[in-house]
Amino acid sequence: MKKSNKIYTALIFVFLYLPIAVLILFSFNSSNSTNSFAGFSLKWYKELFSDGATLLALRNTLILAILSSVIATVIGTLAAYGIHHMKNKHIKNTVLTVNNIPMMNPEIVVGISMMLLFVFVGRLINSSTTLGFGTVLIAHVTFNIPYVVLSVMPKFKQMDRHLPEAALDLGCTPFQSFYKVEMPQIISGIISGFIMAFTLSIDDFIISYFTIGSGFETLPIRIYSMTKKRVTPDMYALSALIFLSILILLLISNFTGNSSGVKEKKPVTLKQKKRRRIVFAATFALIAIITGAVLISTATTETVVVNVYNWGEYISDGSDGSFDSNKAFEDYYSKVLSEERGHKVKVQVNYTTYTSNEDLYAKIKSGVGGYDVIVPSDYMVERLIKEGLVQPLDLNNIPNYKYIKDDFKKPFYDNGEETYSVMYTYGIVGIIYNTEYVDEEDIGGWDLLWNEKYSGHILQFNNARDAFGSAMYKEGINVNTATELEWRNALNELKRQKPLVQSYVMDEVYNKLESEEAWIGAYYAGDALSMIYNNENLAFYYPKNSDGEFATNIFADAMCIPTGVSEENKKHAEAYINFMLSEEPAIANAEYIYYGCPNTLVTENPDYIEYLGEDYDVIYDPDIEDNIDILFSKYAYRNLPTDKLALLNRLWEELKVDSSSFNGGIYIVSGVIALGIVGFIVFCYVRKVRRRRLYWNTTPKTK
Amino acid sequence: MNEKKIIELKGVSKSFDGELILDNIDLKVYEKEFMTLLGPSGCGKTTTLRIIAGFVTPDCGELLFDGEKINEVPPYKRSVNTVFQKYALFPHLNVYENIAFALRLKKTPEEEIYERVEEMLTMVNLRGFEKRDVNLLSGGQQQRVAIARALINKPRVLLLDEPLGALDLKLRKDMQNELKNIQRKTGITFIYVTHDQEEALSMSDTVVVMANGKIQQIGSPTDIYNEPENAFVADFIGESNIIDGVMLDDFKVRFSGHEFVCLDKGFSKNEPVDVVVRPEDVDVVPVEKGMLSGIVDSVTFKGVHYEIIVTINKFKWMIQSTDYVAPAQKIGIYVEPDAIHIMKKSEFSGMFGDYSSFSDELEHLSDVTEEEE
Repeated sequence: MKKSNKIYTALIFVFLYLPIAVLILFSFNSSNSTNSFAGFSLKWYKELFSDGATLLALRNTLILAILSSVIATVIGTLAAYGIHHMKNKHIKNTVLTVNNIPMMNPEIVVGISMMLLFVFVGRLINSSTTLGFGTVLIAHVTFNIPYVVLSVMPKFKQMDRHLPEAALDLGCTPFQSFYKVEMPQIISGIISGFIMAFTLSIDDFIISYFTIGSGFETLPIRIYSMTKKRVTPDMYALSALIFLSILILLLISNFTGNSSGVKEKKPVTLKQKKRRRIVFAATFALIAIITGAVLISTATTETVVVNVYNWGEYISDGSDGSFDSNKAFEDYYSKVLSEERGHKVKVQVNYTTYTSNEDLYAKIKSGVGGYDVIVPSDYMVERLIKEGLVQPLDLNNIPNYKYIKDDFKKPFYDNGEETYSVMYTYGIVGIIYNTEYVDEEDIGGWDLLWNEKYSGHILQFNNARDAFGSAMYKEGINVNTATELEWRNALNELKRQKPLVQSYVMDEVYNKLESEEAWIGAYYAGDALSMIYNNENLAFYYPKNSDGEFATNIFADAMCIPTGVSEENKKHAEAYINFMLSEEPAIANAEYIYYGCPNTLVTENPDYIEYLGEDYDVIYDPDIEDNIDILFSKYAYRNLPTDKLALLNRLWEELKVDSSSFNGGIYIVSGVIALGIVGFIVFCYVRKVRRRRLYWNTTPKTK
Repeated sequence: MNEKKIIELKGVSKSFDGELILDNIDLKVYEKEFMTLLGPSGCGKTTTLRIIAGFVTPDCGELLFDGEKINEVPPYKRSVNTVFQKYALFPHLNVYENIAFALRLKKTPEEEIYERVEEMLTMVNLRGFEKRDVNLLSGGQQQRVAIARALINKPRVLLLDEPLGALDLKLRKDMQNELKNIQRKTGITFIYVTHDQEEALSMSDTVVVMANGKIQQIGSPTDIYNEPENAFVADFIGESNIIDGVMLDDFKVRFSGHEFVCLDKGFSKNEPVDVVVRPEDVDVVPVEKGMLSGIVDSVTFKGVHYEIIVTINKFKWMIQSTDYVAPAQKIGIYVEPDAIHIMKKSEFSGMFGDYSSFSDELEHLSDVTEEEE
C-alpha cells in the first residue's frame, strides 16, 4: 500500500472513531466538565450502576431487544425458507422487494404508521391504554424481520441447491431435511441476522418513541429525554459500555465467518463449524439467562399503578444516594392503601419522560398514553385547559396545596374558578457573563447582548420565541400582544445584533460559557448556577428594562391530571401530587432540579436554605420574588394566535437567512454538485445509447 | 442380463414454464442393467432422472416401479438413491457421518452403522478417511463419498447425474472403471446421465440417446455407434460425414455424384436418404484410384491420426488417416461397402455431418451450460 493510501485510511479511521474515543475518555473523567480532563476515575460508572431509573431502562431495552430479535429471527428464517423455495421467480422477486421496502422507509414513517395502527385497533377493541410493552414489541419485531430475511437469504442461495434433495433422497422427510441439513448451512446467517436485529432493536429510538406507552421506557428514550437538563457523564459511561458490547457482538458475528454476505470461496472446515456451534450455544445461553431473570422478577400481587409523564431529569431519583421520590411514594402509598383495604396492595409508579410540551401534547391529544399525572409548562397548561384535555383537581385530596405560595396559586394560565394544576417548579431567564472579560458597568440589562465591545463572544438563543423575546424585553415590547410593527422592530434589533453574535445556541451554551469560548449568554437561573459551579469566573443577573423593572421570561411547570383518567385513578394521581408537595420529596426534588420551588415547606426549610447557600439568593432573589406576579402577568410567554406564530416563523427565517453569504454559498455549491451529477448521468446515458445504436437492433434475439 | 423390468416410464411428458422438456417418453429399465441417458444439454435426460428420483412429478404418463405406479410417492419413500452432479455432500458432517446419514435416519444400531460404513469405505477405497472434513477432499474423493453415501441404503436403483463431469480426464477414466466394477459387484441397476458419448459407450449395457425431449434411439453401445437411426445420433456419437444420397436399389446408393455398393436394403426405389460414413472408415488413395476426389482444406495432427478436411463436390468431408497429406493437395478417397450406413430422412437431416463450420471450441461451449431443471 502506498504511503498516501495509508494516511488516507488512517484519516478515515480517525474520523470514524475519534468521537467514540473522546466519549470513552470522558466517561473516566473525574469531574463532570466537558472541556477538561481532570483525572481518571470510575465515578460515573459507579453512579450509573446506582441510578435505578437508568438501570430499569437498560433492563427494559434488553428484554425488548432479546424478545423482539428472537421472535423476528424465527419468523424471518421461516420467511426466508419460504421465499427461497418459491417456484415462481417473479413472485419471489416481488416478495423480496416488498421485504426490502421497510428498510428503505424512513423510520419516522414506520413509527407513526405503527402508532396509528395500534391506536386504531385499540379503539376497535375498546382498550383504554393501547400503547405499551406489547405494541413496542410488535413494532420492533416488525422492523427486524426484513433484516433477518436479508441476512438468511444469501445463505440459502449459497447453499448447494441439491443438498435438500440429497437429504430427501437419503430418506429425510421435508422437516428432517430442513432441520438436519439446511439449518446447519444457514445457521451463520441466522446468528448474524439475530445479532443485527438485536443491535437495531437496542438502539432504536424513533419507532420506539411512537409506539411506546406509559410505564415502559427504553434506554435511548431515556437518554434523549435528558435534554431538558444536561446529559450527565454517567451517560458517557453507559454509551461506552453499549459501544463495547456492540463491538463484542460484531466480533462474534465476524467470528462466525459471516462477513456481510460476501460469498465464501474457501470451504468452511468442520473445526470452524464446531467453533460456530459454541458461539451459537453461548449466545443463546446468555439470552436464556437474561430472559429467565427477567421473568422471575415480574411476579406480582395486587398492584395499583400510577403512570407519571414528566420531563427528563426532573425528579429526585435516588441516584448518588439521594432521596428516591417515586420509590418513597410507592412505599408510603402502599402502606396507606393496604391499611385502607385490609390487604397488601403494591403501588407501582410508571415514570416516563418527554422532551417538549409539543410531544406531550401530541400524546395527550391522541389519547393513547394512559397517563395519570403530567407536568406541562404554563402555556401548555392553558391550552390543555382550553381544549378540555385536563380535568379539575379535587383540592380536598391535595391538602398540601396550602403550602404553595399565594403568588403561585392562581397563575395566568390557570386562574379560573376550578383549579387544574399545581405548580411544580418555575425558572427565570437571566444573563450569564464572564467577570474576567465583562465590565461591571455594562451589566444590568438586555443590552449587554448588544454590546459591541464583546462582539464575537455573545450567544443568542437558537429558538425563535426566546431570541425575539430578548429583543422585545430590551425594547419594552409586550411579548404576547406585540403588533406586526413591533415584531418587525424586534427583528431589526436581532439583525443589528447578528454580526456581534458568536453563535445561536441551546444546550451548547454550557460548553461555550464554561470553556470561556463565549462570554455572554442568557439561560435559566438554575442552569446558570451549575455553570458557575464549573467555572467560578461566571456570574449571573436578572436583566431589567430601561424603566428599571425586571423584564425577563419566567416559566412554570405544573402537575395536571388528563381528562381520560378514571375516578379511581384520579384519587391515586392526586395522592401522588399531594405526596410530591410534602416536605421530604419536595425538598429532594427542589435540590435535584435546582429551579425555583413555589412550596413554602421548601423555601422556608433551614436545611434547604443551607444546602443552596449563596445560590438561594440567586434563585429566590428577594427583588425578583416581589415581582413574580408582574413577571407572570407581563413577561411569561402565552400561546400566540396562529397568524402571529406564522409571522414569528417568517421573521425568524428572515433573520437566519438574511445577508448570510455562507448559506447562499451552500445552496450554490449543492446546486452545482447536483447539476454535475445529473449532467454526468445524462452523459453516461447518451454515450451508452450512442454505442449501442450501431448494433442494438441488429443483434438477433437469443434465448 | 436379467429380463425383469424394474422401472418403466409410460408416455411421460413434462414442461416447465410452458416449455416442453419431455415429450411422451417410453422407457424400460431392467434389473442389474447399466443404462446411460445420453444427450446434449437441455435434451431432458436430467429431468428424466429427476422424475425417477421423485424430485419432479410428470405432467402426464406413468412411472412404474416393480409394476406399481409411484408418480406421487415422495423421494424419501422410494428405494432409489442419487449421486448428484456436484456430489451435494453435507458440508457440516465429516466423511463417516455423511455416509452414515441414511442409516442414522433409520435409527440403525451404532455397531451395524459402523460395519456398513466401513464396508462402503472399503468398496470406494477410502478407508482411513472417516474423520476427514468433506470440504477438504479432492473432487475424486468427494465423488467416492457421494457414491458410498448413496449405496449404503442398498437401493434397488442408483441414479447418477453426470457424476464425473467435474473431474479431470485422467481421474474420470479411473472412476469410470471403478463405477463399472461397483455396479458389477453390487448388482444394482445404474441409471447414468451424461453428455459424454465416450463415457456412455464404454460403460453402459444400454444407451438411450435423447434430443429435444425425445428418445432418439435405444440400444447397445455397438448398435448405437454402427447403426445410428438418424442424423442426430450419427453425429452425436462419434464423428460422422452425413451426406444426402438417393437409394437406387437394394445395396446400391448414390451420393456425391457416384454410385456406391452398400449393405443396406429395404428402402423404396429412389428414396432420398442420409448416408453416414465414419471418418476412420475412409481410405486416402491416389486420385486415379479413388472413387471420389477432392482438395485438402486442412490437416490437423491428433496424435493417433491426422484429421483431414477435404472438399468433395462442395461437401466437406472429415477423414482420419495415419498417413500425412499436404494441404491443397488433390487426393482420392475409397469407401468400402461395409463402411456405408444408410438412414431414413428425419427432422435432423441436413443439420449435421458437414464439417465446413467444424470447430472443437464450439462443441465444448455447448457443454459448459449446465442443464437447468
